[in-house]
Amino acid sequence: MAVRGGIWGILLLIMATFAIWQVTSGKARIDGDVLSLIGLEKTDDTARKPDIETVRDLLANDANQAIIMVSANQQDMLETATRALASDITNIPGTKSVSLPGYDAGNLARLSDFYLPHAQSLLSDRDRALLRDGNGEAVYQNAVKTLYAPASMLSAASLRADPFSLLPVFLAELGNKLGSSGIVQRDNHFHTPIIISLSPDLRRQGPDIAWVGKVNDAIANAQSTADQSDGLTIAKTGQVFFAVAEATAAKSDVQRIAIIATLGIFAMVLSVFFSPLPLIGTLITVGSGLIAGIAAVTLIFDGIHAIALVFGASLIGISVDYALHYLVLPADGKSPTARVATIRSGLSLGLLTSVCGFAVLAISPAILLAQIAVYSIAGLIAAYVTVLFILPLLPVRSVKHRSLIPRAYQKFDDTLRRLQLPRLVRGVGALAILGGFAVCVLFIPTDDDIRHLGHGNDTLTTQARLIGDTMGMGGNPVFIRIDGADSQTRLQTGEAVQNALRPLIKDGTVGSGFGLSDMIPSIKRQDENRTLIKDQLFETYAPKLAPLLPINIQTPNPDAPYLHADADAFAQFPELANLHDGMTDIVRLNAVTDANAVATAIADIDAARLINPRATITDQFAHYRNWATAGLAIALLIAGILAMARYGVIRGLCVLGTPAGAMLVALGGAAAIGITINFFTIMALFLVFAIGADYVIFFSESQKHGQQDATRFAVFLSLISSILAFGLLASSSVPVVSAIGTIMAIGLPTAWVLSYAMCPTSVKADQSDA
Amino acid sequence: MTHRWFASLAVSALTLFLVAMLSVIPARADGTAPKADLPSAATPTPISDQQYLTGSFTLERHLDGFDAPLTSTGEFALSPRKGLIWQNLKPFPDTTVMNDQGITRKHDDGTFETIASGARFHQFIALISAVLAGNWDPLSDQFTVTPTKTKTAQDDPGWQVTLAPKDNNGLSEQVSQIVIKGDEFVSHVTLHKSSSDRDEITLRNQKRHDLPLPDDLANLLSGNSD
Repeated sequence: MAVRGGIWGILLLIMATFAIWQVTSGKARIDGDVLSLIGLEKTDDTARKPDIETVRDLLANDANQAIIMVSANQQDMLETATRALASDITNIPGTKSVSLPGYDAGNLARLSDFYLPHAQSLLSDRDRALLRDGNGEAVYQNAVKTLYAPASMLSAASLRADPFSLLPVFLAELGNKLGSSGIVQRDNHFHTPIIISLSPDLRRQGPDIAWVGKVNDAIANAQSTADQSDGLTIAKTGQVFFAVAEATAAKSDVQRIAIIATLGIFAMVLSVFFSPLPLIGTLITVGSGLIAGIAAVTLIFDGIHAIALVFGASLIGISVDYALHYLVLPADGKSPTARVATIRSGLSLGLLTSVCGFAVLAISPAILLAQIAVYSIAGLIAAYVTVLFILPLLPVRSVKHRSLIPRAYQKFDDTLRRLQLPRLVRGVGALAILGGFAVCVLFIPTDDDIRHLGHGNDTLTTQARLIGDTMGMGGNPVFIRIDGADSQTRLQTGEAVQNALRPLIKDGTVGSGFGLSDMIPSIKRQDENRTLIKDQLFETYAPKLAPLLPINIQTPNPDAPYLHADADAFAQFPELANLHDGMTDIVRLNAVTDANAVATAIADIDAARLINPRATITDQFAHYRNWATAGLAIALLIAGILAMARYGVIRGLCVLGTPAGAMLVALGGAAAIGITINFFTIMALFLVFAIGADYVIFFSESQKHGQQDATRFAVFLSLISSILAFGLLASSSVPVVSAIGTIMAIGLPTAWVLSYAMCPTSVKADQSDA
Repeated sequence: MTHRWFASLAVSALTLFLVAMLSVIPARADGTAPKADLPSAATPTPISDQQYLTGSFTLERHLDGFDAPLTSTGEFALSPRKGLIWQNLKPFPDTTVMNDQGITRKHDDGTFETIASGARFHQFIALISAVLAGNWDPLSDQFTVTPTKTKTAQDDPGWQVTLAPKDNNGLSEQVSQIVIKGDEFVSHVTLHKSSSDRDEITLRNQKRHDLPLPDDLANLLSGNSD
C-alpha cells in the first residue's frame, strides 16, 4: 500500500510540476476571455470560417478599444476637459494610444499618396451618378471652383493626376461612410469622443481591473475640477468596462461564497472528527483531482478556457464524496486495505458512471465541452486513485458521534429511513421520473441569450446607448459578412451591398456602413469609373478646362495600373485588416436601428449575410446546450445500462431514477422561480447527475459490505459540503452563477432524499442488523 | 481610426486658410496691452463681438512647375461671431461660407452645398475671436509664432509674423510656413505648402463695421438662400 501510495504521490508531483510549467511558461495559457475559445470547433470545412470565428476575431479586435464621450455646454470647456482627460488616460499603464477625433489632424499625406496615382479610377457615388446621368457639367463646374476655392488643398501634383478634382469628393464621401466623429452638437451640448486603444495584453493578463479603476479615477477627477455650470458629463463604453463590471460583481459574490464554503467545510470536518487529519485527506483528494485535471487539459490542448476551468474545478463536489466515503469508515481494527476494500466497488461504480457521463461531452465538436470532459475525467480518476492509495496511509480518525453534525444527521436519517415504498411503486416511480425528465427537458423554455447570463450594469448600458445615439460609435456591433473565392468577387459583392444599404442609410435605419470595397473599388467598378470619366468628362470638358490650367490635360490611360486590395494596401493601411480575413470581407455597420431591415435589404445578395455578434454567440451557446443535453441523455442511458447490469432491471431503474429525479425536481424548481434552461444550467444538471448517482450507488453498494450507516453518514457530509460549495452560489447576483447554484441547491438534497426512497433495502438491512 | 484621415481633409484646409485670415484683423489700436513675447506692433487689436470686417482680396495660387499662378479676386467679410464669407468674383463667381457648422458653397441657383460639416469647425472661429481679443495664444498650440520683422522707424508701421506649424499635428504635412505682413491692417499673407506650392493673398480696403450685418451677408452666414 505504501509503495503504491508513494508512486502515486510522485506521479501527482510530476503532474503538478508539469501543469505549473505549462501555465507559467505560456505554453498553455488560462484564458478568461469568453471570445477566445468558443467557436474553435472541429470542422471539416477548412475553406470557410464559421460565423462564430469571424465574430470572435472581430470582437477581439473591438475588445482592445474603449470610447469615452465628453460633453459640455461650451466648446472651449469641452476641448480643455477632453485634452486633460486624454492626457491622464495616456499615462495609465495598459493604454496603447489615445486619439481625439475632434481635435486631431489626420494623416492626409499618406492617404493622398496612396490614392492620387489612381485618381482617374475613383469616383464618389455622387459624381458617378452625375456622369451616368450625362451631367458632366456639374462635375466640371465643381472642378473649376475648386481651383480658386479658398480652402482648397489642390497642388501641382494633384492637378496633374486629377485635373477635375474628383479625388477630394471621393475622400469626403468616404469620410461620411465611416460615420460621424469629431464634435457633435445636440440640444445645446457639445460632445466629442476619446478613442482609446488598449494594450493587447491588458485583458489577457488580467490588469484590466486596475486600468478601469484608474480611468474611473481620471474621469472623477475631471468631473470634480469642472464647474457645475460647464455641464460637463462623461460617458464611457467598451468591452473592457463591461467585462470588469461583470468580473467585479462575480468576484465579489464568489469570494464571499468561497469564504463561507471553505470555513463551513473546515468546520464540518473538524467538528465531525475533532482532528485535522481527515481535513488534510479531503484536501489531498480534491487537490489531486484539480492537479490531474489541469495537467491533462494542458497536455492535450494549447490552453484552458476559464469556463472549462470553473466547471472542471466543480468536480470538487464529486471528489469530496470519494474522500468522505473513506474517511467516515469506522476503524474497527481493520487494516487500511480491508477498509478500502469495503468501499472500492461503490467508488468504482460511481467513478465509472461519472466518467461515462463526462466522456459523452468529449465527443462533441465543441472544444470547450471537450476540455470540460478531459478535465473532469482525469480529475475524478486521480481523486479515486488518491482515495485508494494515499488516504489509507493517513492515521485513522473516528467520527465523534456525539458532536453536533452526527446528532443532527441522526434525526434526518431516522426520518428518512421511514420512507418505505413497495418495489413496484419505486419502479413505476422511476419510470415516471425518467419520462417526466425527458418531457421537462423538451418543453421547459430555453434562453441562450448571452445578455441574460451576466449581472448587467444599468449605468454602463445607458452610457453605451448614449454614446451610440450621439456619436454613432460603440454599442452592439453589426457586420455584413461577404464570402467569395477571390478578392474581386468579394469587392463586387461589397459594392452591391453598399447599393442595397443606401436607402437604409438615407432613412436613418443604418447610420453608416463601411467595407473594404469603399476603400478599394473592384476592378470592374474602376473600369466603369474610367469609362465614365473619359466619355462624360474628358471628351467634353477637358477642352474647356485646358485654358484655365497651365498644364497639358492628359486623357486617362486605359492601361493604367488598377488599385488593388493587395499586400501593399494592407501594409500602408493596417486598419484594412479589420475588414478582411482570408476569403471573407466585412462591412461594418454603425448605429443600426433595425437589423431585420438590413437582412431584408441584402437578402438577394447570395454571398452576403448579416451577422449580429450577439445573436451568433447566443446561437453558439444554444449549440453547446444541445450537445450538453444530448450528452446528459446518453450519460443517463449508459448509467441505466450499468445499473441494471449490476442490480437488475427494477433496482437498476430505481438507481437511475435517483439522479434523474434530482434533475427533474431541480429543473422544475428552477423553472418555477423563473430560471430558464441554457448551457450552464445543463452543465449544472450534469453535476447533479454525477453527484446524485454517487449517492445512490454508495447506498446500494454499502449493503454488500455492511457499511450502510457509515455510508449514509458519508453521503450526508458530502451533501453538506456540496451545498456549501455550490448551493451558496444561488445567492449570487450574477444570473448565470445564481442559476447554477439554484440547480445544485435543489438537485442535491433531492438526490439525497431519493436515495433513501429508491434504495430502501439498505434501510431494511440496517434494521435487520439492529 | 481611419475616419480621422477623411475628417481632417476639410479641417486641415480650413485651418490653414483661417489661420492666414486671422491676420486680417486690425493690428493696432489705442489701449491695447502688448504681449510680453511679441513686439507691440504685431499684437492684434481687440475687436468687439458687435463688429465685423470687410475687404477685397487677390488670391494667387502658385503651383510648382506652372508658369502662371491661378489668380482670383473678390471680396470677403469676417464676423468673429458668425464666420467668414469668401466671394470670388473673377474669373468665376463663387461664394464659400465658413462658420462653426462647417464649410458650405452657394450655387448659382441660390442653393447651398455642404462641403464639410461638424461642430468641430467652431474651433476655427474661436481662433479668430481669440486673436481679435488680442491673444495669439490659441495659435501657439499649433504654430510657433515668430515676429520676423518689427517696426524700424517711427513712420514705418509695418510688421511681419511667421507661423511655423508644430510637428504634433497634421498641419505640418500640408504647410511649411505662413508669413503675414501688415501695417494697420494685414496687407499680405503667403502660405507656403509642403508641396512647394504657395498661395499669395493680398488684402485691400479693409474696413471695420458695427453689427448688424447687412441682410445679404447675414443670410449667407445663416445658410439662408433668400
